[in-house]
Amino acid sequence: MRRPLFAATAVAALLLSGCSASDSDADGGDVAWSYTSGDGETYTATEVPTRIIAEASSAKALMEFGIEPVGIWASNPVDEDVALRGVDFSGIEILGEEWGKIDVAAAAELQPDLIVGDWWPVEEAYSGLEGGVEEESKKLAELAPVVGPAQSDSVVDLIEGYAELAETLGADPDQIAESRTAFEAAVTDFEAAAAEKPGLTALAVSPYDTNYAIAVPEHAPELLDFQRWGLNVINPDTPDPDFPYWETLSMENADKYQPDLLLFDDRWHPGNEETLAAAPISSSITAFAAGQTTTWPGYWLHTYSDYAAELTRLAEVIRSVDENLVQE
Amino acid sequence: MARSSVRAAVLLAATGALVLLALLSLTLGSRDIAPFEVLQVFTDPTPSADATVIREMRLPRTLIAIVVGAALAVSGAILQSLARNPLADAGVLGINSGAAVAVVVSAFVFGSMPVSGSVWFAFIGAGATTVAVYAIAAVGREGATPVKLALAGVCITALCGSITSALVLADPDALEELRMWQVGALGGRYFPVLTQVAPFLAVGLVAALCTGRVLNLLSLGEDLARGLGLRTGAARAGLFALVAVLSGAATAACGPIAFVGLMVPHAARLITGPDYRWILAYSAVLGPALLLGADIIGRLVLPGGEIPVGVVIGVLGAPAFVLLVRYRNLVEL
Repeated sequence: MRRPLFAATAVAALLLSGCSASDSDADGGDVAWSYTSGDGETYTATEVPTRIIAEASSAKALMEFGIEPVGIWASNPVDEDVALRGVDFSGIEILGEEWGKIDVAAAAELQPDLIVGDWWPVEEAYSGLEGGVEEESKKLAELAPVVGPAQSDSVVDLIEGYAELAETLGADPDQIAESRTAFEAAVTDFEAAAAEKPGLTALAVSPYDTNYAIAVPEHAPELLDFQRWGLNVINPDTPDPDFPYWETLSMENADKYQPDLLLFDDRWHPGNEETLAAAPISSSITAFAAGQTTTWPGYWLHTYSDYAAELTRLAEVIRSVDENLVQE
Repeated sequence: MARSSVRAAVLLAATGALVLLALLSLTLGSRDIAPFEVLQVFTDPTPSADATVIREMRLPRTLIAIVVGAALAVSGAILQSLARNPLADAGVLGINSGAAVAVVVSAFVFGSMPVSGSVWFAFIGAGATTVAVYAIAAVGREGATPVKLALAGVCITALCGSITSALVLADPDALEELRMWQVGALGGRYFPVLTQVAPFLAVGLVAALCTGRVLNLLSLGEDLARGLGLRTGAARAGLFALVAVLSGAATAACGPIAFVGLMVPHAARLITGPDYRWILAYSAVLGPALLLGADIIGRLVLPGGEIPVGVVIGVLGAPAFVLLVRYRNLVEL
């Protein structure tokens, strides 16, 4: 409710002040905190925010850099979500564990001074406040400014966005640099593994019911990263018109693409692999028949440590598989 | 005699139509395969993706449609006679809700599982509720009368429904499993599901097709049937068990499919007249034909997708049933 108003006033202020953005502290206080968020606005405060409420993945990202929120909300039960593995949320209030539902009354009790979630450029909204979310939940945005880095075509940009936000909130730059260095080593290793198998092709899938859903890398930042780092992830040719994140084939057509390595969306694994195994057509998917399958982190990465671990694991898989399984 | 040969000829023609539908079911699907090739894969053992799709995906699906369609229609015919209720089908006896609650409980306890796993739970649930319905209805001097059967069915259905709702609200796994199962479908069922339910359906169908004489006697009324030497109590219990096995196994394999058990016996009666030996035989042919036909339509309507057969039957079945009822006063059994 309040957020569009925020944006409107910010735009008006910008127009009024011409090009100078420096006098945005119009209320006279000293600017102790300033952050340019994913929506393009620069948010400022007279004190560095300390009482943060964050979407669970954003919270995980901030916590890796030493910034602990007072409350979180999640789209799934916190102890079941693949994206939240390995985080200790004890002592942090959980305000929701179902998509679209945030306990705003409990959030207000926490007296937050900042709310953090990913900015989704296509939806033009922050996580938890996008279209379809219950109106009651959207009132969260009235409690404090909502900020966060934008989702983009690389997970690295997103994590760097959180690093930048964490630094404005008082994170130790050395700690950030340390996890970045470890991550960069994992990238180098992944690139080396991919370079050792130049002929290797991979396909990212998630079969369900009688459907064979293939992820479209264009809308999956981690798959775009893999492509950048030398792994040939196949781009399906006909993404679904109404939901271009996937190309959905019927199970009868599941052998349309023949990769050397099959990547299953780890959020639905092992159920999605079992669904494919039960379908007889799986014997005609060479990579599946040869057991060249693994998982990929599907749309949830927010931290260097998770990403580094996944890259290290995938590099090992890449080195172990036969790159010439499927002959063109 | 002349009447009989006409009935036999029409039955033969219906069987021919069923064979044709079965061939169409092997030919049509989301994967483009030339009709000629369909016949070839059964003579040529060379493995290919097309052969896999036809032999291991479309063939079991077609066979399941045939046995399930026959089981639903035949058990519907028996049930309508047994319950003296022209609207009786598996749903009235609580079979669908019993199978649903068992599927949901299994997902709640063991987590989600493939269709071939949940089949057993659905079967057990369907059987348990049928036994419970019959046991409740059988209490009292006059035994399991049609009215008491219907009331017990309604009561058990409500009970199972509330348990299902409670579990589904509490557990996303259970919801997911129910979502998959609640719409009757033939897609995603392969040979493991067929081999699980086929023994029950085969034995049940053979036994059911032999009950025509008993049903004819029962339709004369309790006293007359008893006077002609039929032990009506035992006959009823036996027929009821047969219905439980047939519709339980069918529901376990495909989920709840409405109208086949309701509509096909009425259509059969329209063609044959009141002789149950013919009604059963016609049901066993027309049931599969209806289910296969609806499944084929469901595969073709959406480009690149499928409508589950349960939905197609529901959409086609309701107006067809109204027409049928208006065409002839069917309420007299």
